[in-house]
Amino acid sequence: MSLRFDIRKCVAWAPGLESDEDWRLWQQGEKALTDELSLPQLTSIPAMQRRRLSPFAKIALHCALEASGEYQANIPCVFSSRHGDLHRTTKLIESIALSKDLSPTQFGLSVHNAAAGLFSIFTGNRAPLSAIAGGQSSFMQGLLDAVAKLEANNLSRILYVYCDLHVPECYRPYVVDDTSIGIGLLIEATEDENNAYNLSYNAVEDTLGSDCQALNFMGFILSNESQLLTNIHQQTWLLRRG
Amino acid sequence: MSDLNHEIKLLIIEALDLEDISVDDIDDDAPLFVDGLGLDSIDALELGVAIKNAYNIKIDGNTEDSKKYFYSVKTLSDYIQISK
Repeated sequence: MSLRFDIRKCVAWAPGLESDEDWRLWQQGEKALTDELSLPQLTSIPAMQRRRLSPFAKIALHCALEASGEYQANIPCVFSSRHGDLHRTTKLIESIALSKDLSPTQFGLSVHNAAAGLFSIFTGNRAPLSAIAGGQSSFMQGLLDAVAKLEANNLSRILYVYCDLHVPECYRPYVVDDTSIGIGLLIEATEDENNAYNLSYNAVEDTLGSDCQALNFMGFILSNESQLLTNIHQQTWLLRRG
Repeated sequence: MSDLNHEIKLLIIEALDLEDISVDDIDDDAPLFVDGLGLDSIDALELGVAIKNAYNIKIDGNTEDSKKYFYSVKTLSDYIQISK
């Protein structure tokens, strides 16, 4: 089965790649990811609220706000992340190890749906919202969840936000293809078969894949390629144009 | 300014991520919550934990007494001194 949809807007943020122009140059091989991750300013959020945002939350919210634009107050959303705000969670675990009391702010904002919840609070958005994690396939699983909801609920549009950050030092030996990246997509229903994307998924015997799906997706969306095929563990994801 | 007051101001700025505020911006006698610095109820919890971690002094939750101690830098500093 294949699900059809249109991508009306794509906003992404990664170390050294912040604007549409940066990403265009990256796709053409004229710009590369850097080591230093700078953070979006988020000037639309009041300073007293902004101070509680972690780097993870800032990047996820930037992508969510920019991609949803005029629809941000009422658009249904799907947020996806493999690790969530692991830097916050790690600080909590370290506090427990040191028998220190936990920071209530860190605790409250470490849950997997924290960025989605913050987005809903800042925009006053009360539409259905979910936060998912799907291992190394988190980008594609989240996209699948978003386009399946678009189809099943006959929505005109849905916001999809994916975000992961380079994991904290102590987890690095266990994680491959670890890239800091946030992507926000304004996804719309479409009847136009020629200007649409189709996503399909197959379970396969066994494949060994370790690509960063989110980066591959950015490479595909900015290109003229007709399809993006990714294999991860026992899953094959196919995203086709037209 | 007493050393303890200075220390408490630094603790407040650090524990509550008040990036744009310096020690000089916080008045010893000004209210910390709502008016004055404009902190909220999550900040009160956070500050309670920070004080417990730094001075090993526990200020009980939402009681009339705790509201008095949390009123300003001065009241917090006085409470920490008598509790040490």
